[in-house]
Amino acid sequence: MQDRPTAAELLDAVEGFLRKQSAAQQDRWLRFQLLVASNTLGIVRREIATEEGYVRKEWPMLDALVGAAKPPETFHEVELACRGRYDELCDAIRAGKFDAPEREAALVDFLWETTVDRVKTTAPGELR
Amino acid sequence: MSDTTIGSPEIVAAAVRQGLASPQAEVRGAKLLAGGAMHDSWAADTGADELVVRLSPPARDDAAKSRAEFAVMKAAYERGCRSPKPIFVGENERGQTFMLMTRMPGDTNPRQLTTSPDYADARVALIDHLAEDLVKLHSVRPGEIDVPMRTPAPTEDPLLSAALLQFAEYDKQKLSPHPVVEWGLRYVVRNCPNLKPQTRPVHIVHGDLRTGNIMYDKQGLTAMLDWEGTHAGEAEEDLSWFCTRVWRFNRKDLAAGGVTDRETWLKAYERHSGETIDRERMKLWEVLQNVRWSVITMMQARQHMDHVMDSHEHAAIGRRGADTELEVLRLITGREVA
Repeated sequence: MQDRPTAAELLDAVEGFLRKQSAAQQDRWLRFQLLVASNTLGIVRREIATEEGYVRKEWPMLDALVGAAKPPETFHEVELACRGRYDELCDAIRAGKFDAPEREAALVDFLWETTVDRVKTTAPGELR
Repeated sequence: MSDTTIGSPEIVAAAVRQGLASPQAEVRGAKLLAGGAMHDSWAADTGADELVVRLSPPARDDAAKSRAEFAVMKAAYERGCRSPKPIFVGENERGQTFMLMTRMPGDTNPRQLTTSPDYADARVALIDHLAEDLVKLHSVRPGEIDVPMRTPAPTEDPLLSAALLQFAEYDKQKLSPHPVVEWGLRYVVRNCPNLKPQTRPVHIVHGDLRTGNIMYDKQGLTAMLDWEGTHAGEAEEDLSWFCTRVWRFNRKDLAAGGVTDRETWLKAYERHSGETIDRERMKLWEVLQNVRWSVITMMQARQHMDHVMDSHEHAAIGRRGADTELEVLRLITGREVA
């Protein structure tokens, strides 16, 4: 096991450094690039904290949409398999398999919940 | 200064002399205005004129697009739209496509426009000016532009045409599957045939009219900029792109460009055009335009992933699809985050 500072704490430290550097910059282009870099580390920091929970929550929801399957052992494998299930879901949407109102309602619930989760990680300020 | 700068004061001065067909012209004060992914824009002055030179990278095959853009800008300018006067389009001896135009007064800063109390009156005037100028632009027919450009087929609904184009673009650009994009596009395609048929003939649209691509001062609009997305379509395309969530900056509550609400914007256009904008058609366009932005974020991230342009900014934009797709879901379902 690694020592503290944890990965999240290290990211937080670099994020803060980049934010301060950005605020002190006179050059508009560099100020913006540093701000983007800082915000990007924020995405990674939040993703490390929450992504496994989100993806494991999605798995049974996807069972109802693309058919039941047993999740693999490691989280890395679950992530890869989940991406594959998204491909199946996209094909089914395009093929019209969610056009019927009842199927569409189930799809929309899934899309809403997973999209809100994604935005909590990528741009929490955009939830409102 | 951007690390992707294409031009230099010498290149800009040569472009001005070539564009004005004035080999002896004295060119002063060449200054980079904005370095973008697609172009550099430079300010330059002669004794008589304040000009802008827009340069494309040598490798970018921009010639046909720039000629179409030039032709539309000319037609818009002649209709009385607030827009730079286009002077020249062509290639320099380095093979770079460039356009020469007049420099317009005003500011482009989006956040000042959307939030500054000093610009409250300007915001009201700007919406009226934009609607007025869009109506003028939308009176230009594709036949008046003597350069080939994207045009929906005569029997095709322009909305459906644009949706099918986005489908193809999504398939080309996606780095991972996006179920919301799939569903949003399918929603538009399925619901388009239920709309009242469009009775207006196809006309020229700006294609990228949004806060950030307009110049303003305390009196309102001074210029519509960035015409490179111009093509033939229908008015709702410009009206809806202006409402796309990403271009509201920090006034997400004001649907029309962070400047005013959606109804005020549509009514301003209706007042100037004497036509009615079908709100159902407008809604489908807004869904499609937010999908379009999501696809653009994929394209930008792909430029980094494919090492076309190594940029952590472009990489990070790839994650902005999520909040754009949330807007797609908001628009269709009427839900809000609890």
